[in-house]
Amino acid sequence: MRGRREPRLAEVSLRIQAGERVALLGPSGAGKSTLLAVANGLLLPDGGTVHWQGEPRARSARARRRQQARIGTLWQDLRLIEELSVQQNLNAARLARWGWPRALLNLVMPVETQACATLLQRLDLDPALLGQPVSALSGGQRQRVALARLLRQEPLLLLADEPLASLDPRLAEELLALLLAAGSAPRALLLSLHRPELVGGFDRVVGLRRGYIVFDQPASSLTTAQLQALYAEDGAP
Amino acid sequence: MSPAQAAAANGPQVAAPLWVLLPALVLLPLLLVLPGISHGGGWELVGQFASAGLQPSLDPLVLRSVLSGLGVTMGIALLGWAGSVVLGVVLGVASSRVVWQTVTGSTALAGWIRRLLALPRSIHELLWGLLLLQLVGLQPAVAVVAIILPFGALVARVISDLLDALPTRSLEALRCAGAPAGPALLTALGPPLLPQLISYSGYRLECALRSATLLGVFGLGGLGTELKLTLQSLAFRELWTGLWALLITMLLLEMLLGRLRQRWAMPGRLALGQTRVGGSGRELLWAGAALLPLLGAVAWGLGVDPASLLRWQPLPPMPAANWGAVAALPWGALVGNTVVMTLLAAALAVGLAPLLLLLVQPWPGGRWALQALWALGRLWPPPLIALLLLFLLQPGIITGALALGLHNLGVLGRLLLETSEHVGDGAEQALLGAGSGPRLALLYGRFSGLARPYLAYGAYRADVILRESVVVGLVGATGLGSQLLEALSAFAFDELLALLLAYALLTLVGEDLSDRLRRRLLAGAPRPGSPGVGTPDRG
Repeated sequence: MRGRREPRLAEVSLRIQAGERVALLGPSGAGKSTLLAVANGLLLPDGGTVHWQGEPRARSARARRRQQARIGTLWQDLRLIEELSVQQNLNAARLARWGWPRALLNLVMPVETQACATLLQRLDLDPALLGQPVSALSGGQRQRVALARLLRQEPLLLLADEPLASLDPRLAEELLALLLAAGSAPRALLLSLHRPELVGGFDRVVGLRRGYIVFDQPASSLTTAQLQALYAEDGAP
Repeated sequence: MSPAQAAAANGPQVAAPLWVLLPALVLLPLLLVLPGISHGGGWELVGQFASAGLQPSLDPLVLRSVLSGLGVTMGIALLGWAGSVVLGVVLGVASSRVVWQTVTGSTALAGWIRRLLALPRSIHELLWGLLLLQLVGLQPAVAVVAIILPFGALVARVISDLLDALPTRSLEALRCAGAPAGPALLTALGPPLLPQLISYSGYRLECALRSATLLGVFGLGGLGTELKLTLQSLAFRELWTGLWALLITMLLLEMLLGRLRQRWAMPGRLALGQTRVGGSGRELLWAGAALLPLLGAVAWGLGVDPASLLRWQPLPPMPAANWGAVAALPWGALVGNTVVMTLLAAALAVGLAPLLLLLVQPWPGGRWALQALWALGRLWPPPLIALLLLFLLQPGIITGALALGLHNLGVLGRLLLETSEHVGDGAEQALLGAGSGPRLALLYGRFSGLARPYLAYGAYRADVILRESVVVGLVGATGLGSQLLEALSAFAFDELLALLLAYALLTLVGEDLSDRLRRRLLAGAPRPGSPGVGTPDRG
């Protein structure tokens, strides 16, 4: 993967097993967002291969969509559809699997209400919110609805690009706990973090610097020296 | 209450993304009716017409006449546009509430001037042109003035709306500090108004080019006349020479104006995604200074002589007014047909654009093909589309509605593409990333945010179509329009007066309804900072 001048991602080899929860650390510009965009299929690498469940990235659009349907992303700006209700937003995560009839029906009347309500309850949200437009929700509620939509997709791999960056500490901790719970086996979680002190709950931690993987090890064995080297200013070793 | 009940209590409700597609339902009855009004023959002619598109005549004589016709059309458009902007700014300031409030302390007069301006605005430029033609005979100034009058009144309304919508805090601050009314208004409201004014005037120039072509179709000079004559004499290759020339001119103009808007950071038509406004003051001045000698040269080249407008021709002998006969006109059918035709055309134009976009979405070349199709629609004045349709269909309101609909589809479709480049990018990408197909991602992710501003613009467009419905009057039996054209050519002044008034009244009612609809649509938008009332773009 090449940026305008130098590669955003150089030689990166990363293999994530089901049940693994991986935190991605690195200074800004290290290539974390690029790595996540390659993982969810929105960016194509200039070289190298991407494998999903042991098979290379599909060539046909249809097969690729089937692969992408099992990879869910939690966006930093949430990307909810403001004009639609909470339930319609949750169901939008099923579009990859639904045909036109159900996709259209979802825009006219509530469908699969039970599944959506269960999800909201699981995330401590009032199921009465289902009929509300997303634009009427509070910031914390929106965050949870976005997470509920991610779960509604039933992904095997959960991706999140600095999901905690714009949250206050309490909300950030809550969301991280929810994500870690959601990303446990049989699913996997790959999440980029700007705060290294939060890696405690993860199984594995990957350090990325200038497009290269600097370390890739169990989260429990991460040392302060490694972190200092990872975030060191240019020119320092 | 269980969640299921809570959701069910809302009942079935059509969500935003579907709104933009609902008008396309009009296709169903239309497709049922079409076989009934098609008259079988004519496909061969249409085939000849289409194939002639690839081999336009390159005969030097034809080329020369096309180029001179195009020059006249562009000259008329340019002069009419410049005149209407100047007139519009003067009248717009004169009918602005905030100006009257600041200068005299009362807004009563502003309201009256507004009401007066409604009349020239409600009468289509074609009618102005034909009326003037009867009075002063055929000369270049007629088409120019025909554009200036309604366009000027329209620009005036937009300017006064814009002025009155500007925040007045800085104006109040200046007034409190003792600044006199004039300089205070200029300083406080001038700078925020200017970029919107320039952006809007740019769109008016595009409209003026379309109008000048249209006026030509009715014999008021320029390329339009040749287009109509070559179409009627089935000289398709010569017709296409003119069409290609016009298409290139139109696209170049649109591109140039688009570039300028971007360069000068002017707001777009739906005012979506604008970040900064204004700048490049010196360039603006230069552009303005370059325009003046150009306008002078064009006026001289066309032989436009304003004084000649005052030399009225002797009118044909007029019979005594026969109001009984006027009252006996089938008013209900005339008005009803006009309204039905307008609604059909509007639904067709508004609904077809997103439907087509949805259909071609997965194909890489699809957008490009649509852009080409829509450029052709904009290019063709509705009466020419109507004449072409007459090869296949019987005259009547459906043929008229199709012609109006296809032309306006070109305008709306372009806007939809332009707008959809700004709106809902994130949501659509998120859906694509989660594996949904490109069509569903467009429907859910993009049409959701687009629905309100797009339909609000569609309401504007319906209003334009109502006014414009007179121009397809020449394919017969299309309501007030065809009756008006007949009365004009017979110069039955009693009937003409009554029809003009009825038409003006109808368009004013239509304008009011479309304004209400538009406000309601925009008021319900979920995001703060989503498109404001925006600038209308009639014509």
